[in-house]
Amino acid sequence: MPPGRGAKTEESRRPIHDTDPDPDPHPDLSIPPKPPAGPIELGFALVDERELAAFARQERVTRDDYLERLGDARQCVTLPDDAEPTHFFLGSEFCEHLLPSIEAIDRAVALCERWGVTFGLVTPIACDSLFEPLRAALARLPAGAEVTVNDWGVARVVQREFPGLRPVAGRLLGKMLKDPRLPSATWARMYPNGLRAGPFREILDNLGIGRLELDFPPFGAADMYAGIDFPVGVRAPYGYIAKGRICKLGSLALDVPEKFSPGHRCRRECLGFSEVGARPGTRELETSQRGNTMYYRHAPGMTAAIAEAVAKGWVSRIVLSGA
Amino acid sequence: MKQPPRMKITAPISTPAEVEPLVRAGARELYCGVVPPDWVRRFNTSGVNRRVFGNLNGYADLERVIDKAHTLDAEVFLVLNAQQYGEQHLDALTEIGARFRSIGGNAAIVADISLIASLAANVPELPIHVSSVATCRNVESARFFAQLGARRIILPRDVTVAEISAIATELPELDIEAFVLNDGCVFEEGTCHTVHLPMNKGGPICIDNYQFEYRAASGEAPAERALRRLEKNDQDYKRWLWYRFGNGFSVAPNGYPWGPCGLCAMPAMHAAGVHSVKIAGREGASERKVKSVELVHEVLRRIEDGEPEPKVRECAVGLRDAPSHCASGYMCYYPEKRSRPEIPVHAQPA
Repeated sequence: MPPGRGAKTEESRRPIHDTDPDPDPHPDLSIPPKPPAGPIELGFALVDERELAAFARQERVTRDDYLERLGDARQCVTLPDDAEPTHFFLGSEFCEHLLPSIEAIDRAVALCERWGVTFGLVTPIACDSLFEPLRAALARLPAGAEVTVNDWGVARVVQREFPGLRPVAGRLLGKMLKDPRLPSATWARMYPNGLRAGPFREILDNLGIGRLELDFPPFGAADMYAGIDFPVGVRAPYGYIAKGRICKLGSLALDVPEKFSPGHRCRRECLGFSEVGARPGTRELETSQRGNTMYYRHAPGMTAAIAEAVAKGWVSRIVLSGA
Repeated sequence: MKQPPRMKITAPISTPAEVEPLVRAGARELYCGVVPPDWVRRFNTSGVNRRVFGNLNGYADLERVIDKAHTLDAEVFLVLNAQQYGEQHLDALTEIGARFRSIGGNAAIVADISLIASLAANVPELPIHVSSVATCRNVESARFFAQLGARRIILPRDVTVAEISAIATELPELDIEAFVLNDGCVFEEGTCHTVHLPMNKGGPICIDNYQFEYRAASGEAPAERALRRLEKNDQDYKRWLWYRFGNGFSVAPNGYPWGPCGLCAMPAMHAAGVHSVKIAGREGASERKVKSVELVHEVLRRIEDGEPEPKVRECAVGLRDAPSHCASGYMCYYPEKRSRPEIPVHAQPA
């Protein structure tokens, strides 16, 4: 039996949409599991720069500091015993209005130096007017800092103008089906991911991208990232389902005709409010919406599958983040 | 003095019978999908492109479409525009692209970067149009796709006219295509990782029956005053959604389609050198497609005749004979360019 395909009896007890109960045999399963060389990397991703204040007093950070920030969602994360913070990220993958200020970046970089962890700046899909502030932000980063890129144009700029930084392909570039409403795993196979495609690998190589950050999808199996040529990090315990440029919450302060359109000003209402819920009569993954993005929260079976993927060496980094 | 190239209308088709009426109505570019029977046998999925329905029946139909379109001096583009494909699909898709080119097809519309690279390397004579599903909406990203081999960028829906103009001006070597009518997604196509389920299973996720409750950052319910504002905003959002989905999937009394519309922005796009304007809706009825092309063609004709921009916009608002919907601002792809007819408040739709 290939790795990741546990006993049927155990699978059958999992809630609906937990993990794929009968995943397709994967062509890369001939590749033996790759035991991790050492402890996995552990990161925490912060979107709201105001929350840096909560970290500012700490001389060092521990895994519990990171887990505590997740609230009750920490129960959806299982970490190896030896996992301790190695990375700290600031910024949003989803919104051009949430690029951190220069002051916040400087504070976060200083904190990371104090804690002995690597700083990473998270960047979104960019409109042209974002490139100037983005360049200013990138210029503040120390050599070796990471930049999570979610836009091919941003990746180009990082490679060309900031060769001392390390770009990571963010989860907006690692396309896959993540619809928590799918009735069965068969639907999830309609559009398989292309993470192992040769051209994809070459394109990332040519952009100097050395790592992938991905979501763990509904119906995902522990081995779904086995055999990928890049080190893989997984965001936990939330995956994103869909993100738009139109933002309901970001339109809160706008007059009626200007609401729900691109390019308007924003008061970052998403940092103050979110929505949580489900489709009535279903047992689907807990779903939420914050600003322009919908998320699902990992179910216990998904948490177990990620832990197995970590144990087998298919996932080498966990990035904890909220929804 | 050299005349600027004519802006073209790009229209969807799903049967060979649609070619002639659409071209006669003013479309110069047609796009379509096809699901080859051997694809379904080989991969046990119909996911050759972004739509399960609205595809041609096979290569024979595709040849008929190309022959007819070329006779009428129109071009045909093939959508291979799934957000992503598995590595096991790339060779088969590249073969489809090669076959399409060999029977005279004009360009492939592609979103997946691996497929763009594969087609550019293996079928270099087939021009590549980067699909709106690729979410390419800045100059640097457009340059990236041009380096991969793209000839045209189809911009995603939610961009401003200023952003379109900047990309078109900065990269004259690329053709720029922008949305003008129909079928509005709520999320960006390239970052919506869902499928349109059958309506009895929920339909598109953006109009599915999610029951959400607001929470403040503390995890508690928002204060009463904030909640009232949020709920008022929700009401506005529902109204916007109604417009986004074709005014409740209806048509105007004179048969023209409702739904997201960029007619008022066409003069600015024309001036910026936008190569073509896209009408969405491959799965729509033939009548809707024809009426859509007629609508866009009427505006384009006035632009080409040199009518001043305010007059063109005034005409655009009047074409559907229900200017109150335009006045809402919620039906616009590019609301910053909307014409603002004086509509009494009481006459505006609820």
